[in-house]
Amino acid sequence: MRRIVKKILLVLLIVFIAIQFIRPARNVSNQVLPTDISKLVRIPDSVQLLLKNACYDCHSNKTQYPWYVNIQPMGWLMANHIKQGKSVLNFSEFGNYSARKQLSKLTGIANSIKDNIMPLSSYKWMHKNARIGKDEKAIIIKWIDQSKDSLSTKN
Amino acid sequence: MKSIIISLAIAAITFSACNSSTDKATENKSSATDTAQTKPQTDNATATPPPVAETKAIISIKEIVTAYLLLKNAFTKDNSNDAATAGTSLETAFKTFDKTALSADQKKAFEDVEDDSREHAEHIGKNGGNIAHQREHFVMLSKDMADLIKIFGNGGQTLYKDFCPMANDGKGAIWISEVKEIKNPYLGSKMPTCGTMKEEIK
Repeated sequence: MRRIVKKILLVLLIVFIAIQFIRPARNVSNQVLPTDISKLVRIPDSVQLLLKNACYDCHSNKTQYPWYVNIQPMGWLMANHIKQGKSVLNFSEFGNYSARKQLSKLTGIANSIKDNIMPLSSYKWMHKNARIGKDEKAIIIKWIDQSKDSLSTKN
Repeated sequence: MKSIIISLAIAAITFSACNSSTDKATENKSSATDTAQTKPQTDNATATPPPVAETKAIISIKEIVTAYLLLKNAFTKDNSNDAATAGTSLETAFKTFDKTALSADQKKAFEDVEDDSREHAEHIGKNGGNIAHQREHFVMLSKDMADLIKIFGNGGQTLYKDFCPMANDGKGAIWISEVKEIKNPYLGSKMPTCGTMKEEIK
C-alpha cells in the first residue's frame, strides 16, 4: 500500500517537473504603439499610475509579472487571463477600435469600475496596488468622461 | 530516493527561472506585425449612407430588430434571464446577417455598428442575473440600434425612439420600441412609464 502511494507521488512529481518546461510567451512589449491610448487622449500622471497598477497587467501589451509566474501551472493561468483580458480591452491597441467602439469601451470601463466588476477580486487579492478606493475610482471616471468628450469632438 | 526527488525539483526550478528570455523575441516579432496592421482611424460613426432598397437586407435587419425588441421587452419586465437569452439571439442575428447584398459603403456602415453591438449583445447574454450591468450595455446597444435603423430602415414595422432622462444614472438614455406607449426598459417596474417618445420611425 505504501509502495503504491509512493509510486503515485513520484508520478505526480515527475509530471510537475515536466510541466515546468512548458512556458507560455511573455506579454512584455516595451514598444509604445501609435495605437496606444496615451496617443489618443491626454492621460494625467495620477490616472496613468492607477491604470498601470490596476489595469495594464491584463489590458495592455506590457504585464508586470510576479515571481510565481515562473512556477507552472501559475504561469499558464496568468497567460490565459492576460489573453482574455486583452481580447476584451487592450489599452496598447486602443486606436485599432472604431470611433464608436472607443467611446463604448470607455463607457464600459467606467461602468465596470463603478460596479466593482473590475479590477477582478481575485486579482486585487494578489495585488495590493490594484485595490482602488472611492477617490481613485472617481479620478478614473472623471478622466473617462473627459476623454469621451475629447474623442467625440475629434471624430 | 528522497535526495533524488529534491535534486530533481531544484534542477527544474533553476531551469525554469532562467528560461524566460527566449520568449521575448517572438513577442517582439508579433507586436511588429501588429504595428503594420495599424491604420489611421478616420471612420465617422455618424456617417449615414442612403437607405437600402434591397429586400434581402431588409428581411435580415428585421431579424436583428426582432431580437432587439425581445431584449427590450425582457428589460421592461425586469427579467434578467430572458434578457440574457435575447442578448444571445441578437448576437446570432448579427452574425448570420447576409451582407452580400450590401454596397461597399453600406457594408462598412453596417460593420461599424455590428462590431460594437455584437459585443454588447454577447455581454448581456453572459450576464444573466446582473440586470444592472446588462442595462448599462443596453444603453450603448440602443444607440447603435438607432443608428442602424437610420441607415437600413425599420425592417418593415413602425418603430418609436423613446427617451428617459432618469435612466443611465440620470444621464438619460434612448431605446427603440415597437409600441407607441412608453414601457421603460431601464427602470422596469420601478417607473414603467418614465420617458417620452422622440421620434416615429415609419
